[in-house]
Amino acid sequence: MSEQNRSPDILLNVEGISLSFGGVKALNNISFDVRKGEIRAIIGPNGAGKSSMLNCINGFYHPQEGQITFKGETRKQMQPHKAAEQGIARTFQNIALFKGMSTLDNIMTGRNLKMKTNFLWQALHLGPARREEMQHREAAERVIDFLEIEQIRKTPVGRLPYGLQKRVELGRALAAEPDLLLLDEPMAGMNHEEKEDMCRYILDVNDQLGTTIVLIEHDMSVVMDISDRVVVLDYGKLLADGTPDVVRANQDVINAYLGVTHE
Amino acid sequence: MEFMENVFVLPFLDIADSPVFFLEVIISGLLSGVMYSLVALGFVLIFKASGVFNFAQGAMVLFAALTLVGLMEQGVPVVIAILLTALLMVVLAILIEHMMLRHLVNQEGIILFMATIGLNFILEGVGQIAWGSDVKKLDIGIPDQSFEYAGMLFNTLDLSAALIAAIMVTTLALFFQYTGTGRALRAVADDHQAALSVGIPLKSIWIIVWSVAGLVALVAGILWGTKVGVQFSLVLIALKALPVLILGGFTSVPGAIIGGLIIGVGEKVVEVYWGPAFGGAIEGWFAYMLALAFLMFRPQGLFGEKIIERV
Repeated sequence: MSEQNRSPDILLNVEGISLSFGGVKALNNISFDVRKGEIRAIIGPNGAGKSSMLNCINGFYHPQEGQITFKGETRKQMQPHKAAEQGIARTFQNIALFKGMSTLDNIMTGRNLKMKTNFLWQALHLGPARREEMQHREAAERVIDFLEIEQIRKTPVGRLPYGLQKRVELGRALAAEPDLLLLDEPMAGMNHEEKEDMCRYILDVNDQLGTTIVLIEHDMSVVMDISDRVVVLDYGKLLADGTPDVVRANQDVINAYLGVTHE
Repeated sequence: MEFMENVFVLPFLDIADSPVFFLEVIISGLLSGVMYSLVALGFVLIFKASGVFNFAQGAMVLFAALTLVGLMEQGVPVVIAILLTALLMVVLAILIEHMMLRHLVNQEGIILFMATIGLNFILEGVGQIAWGSDVKKLDIGIPDQSFEYAGMLFNTLDLSAALIAAIMVTTLALFFQYTGTGRALRAVADDHQAALSVGIPLKSIWIIVWSVAGLVALVAGILWGTKVGVQFSLVLIALKALPVLILGGFTSVPGAIIGGLIIGVGEKVVEVYWGPAFGGAIEGWFAYMLALAFLMFRPQGLFGEKIIERV
């Protein structure tokens, strides 16, 4: 098994991560890995440390202990924009879009890292900068086509309904052409139809673009349907790790979700 | 009774009496308003991109003007002196990022504000230690002459200032709206975390913003310095920018422009027509009264983002 852990198809390896805020332990010695090309779900009750885990992976939080290996590169502390440079993109639980900007502009910010001309060229809006802008515009349009949001390209995202904002946020993450996509509750607050759409997009991204996905989700049926493997956290501890079937049958998981009678 | 007449009757009779003079007052108000806008613009740029109210903006104006005059006194040609000063403002931005902002990431706005107060004192001190504290004349060759046109009196310096300010504002607006860096700046202004997650490096964005604010300060310093001489009181011009910001909204570039124009025109018109009723010198406090009224009824300003809390 340890041989397998080091095999090249491991994209992300999380080892012994502990994170605390003052006296509160948000994560306690968490280890798991993410294979290239899979959809990996992180589930758990409220306050289990799921979002904290994502925040550690993309560098918003710096865990006190443990290390994270991404694409074979191990790091202890990492700045979020460096994580983005390495190919990690994400969405947020409480949508973090640039509300005053249009859908297209929001998605274009996702291309930011791919822009090579420096800002003096851009200030002049000449030659290479102009060509580059056109190229990135095309890439952004492809994402817009993919997510079927053509009709809201010019709308300031602050005016869009919640479900569409979530989709734009996914678009911004996709525009960066990430190797690893972190989705924090991509379906929270959506109605049934929107959830189905979002599931389809997630599966399509995984399937057509080959993007590895780590997602946090509360809707059990969704998680069990679309993910390849599931990590279960509870009060900052790792409760179970395995395929949906294995996790579903795990007694600790059942206890955590359904409650357990203490005698 | 006489006071009521002075406030509600006589000014309007005066205006009706000589519309050309009224127009002249308005135009001179617009021209001085542009100068307020320029200073306000420096505040808006930094506030937009980093949520920091830069108390040192006035000191930056003074610092830039002092450096420019100092260099010219050493016999450096005008163009080179301006370029050198511009370069110095960029270096200053880099230093500010390295020594101040970098260490205060994720701190409360009020703490960053306090830091800019410190910066204010440093710039005031260093500028005067290096170049002395005498009032100096700044002349970079902008003509300062009055001429008459259509029965109204104009000043070439005022007109040049308005032109330069207009060019600068247009350039900045286009830059913000249509370039990748501009987009990144707007993104940072909108949501720090999200900006970081798409890989926008906060640090270089801050350097760019502070550099641009430094260059705006330089332009304001040149124009104000030419007009009133380079002296310590340039710092106080920043105080005039406050009501402009309250009117225009702290986050709006067009707001800073229009706010400046409103204050400029308001001041002049009130001084000329309503001044006698109050015994004169209204110009000094009218802007602040207007700002106070705005704070009561429209705290986000004319163009600021609406303060809506979704619950």
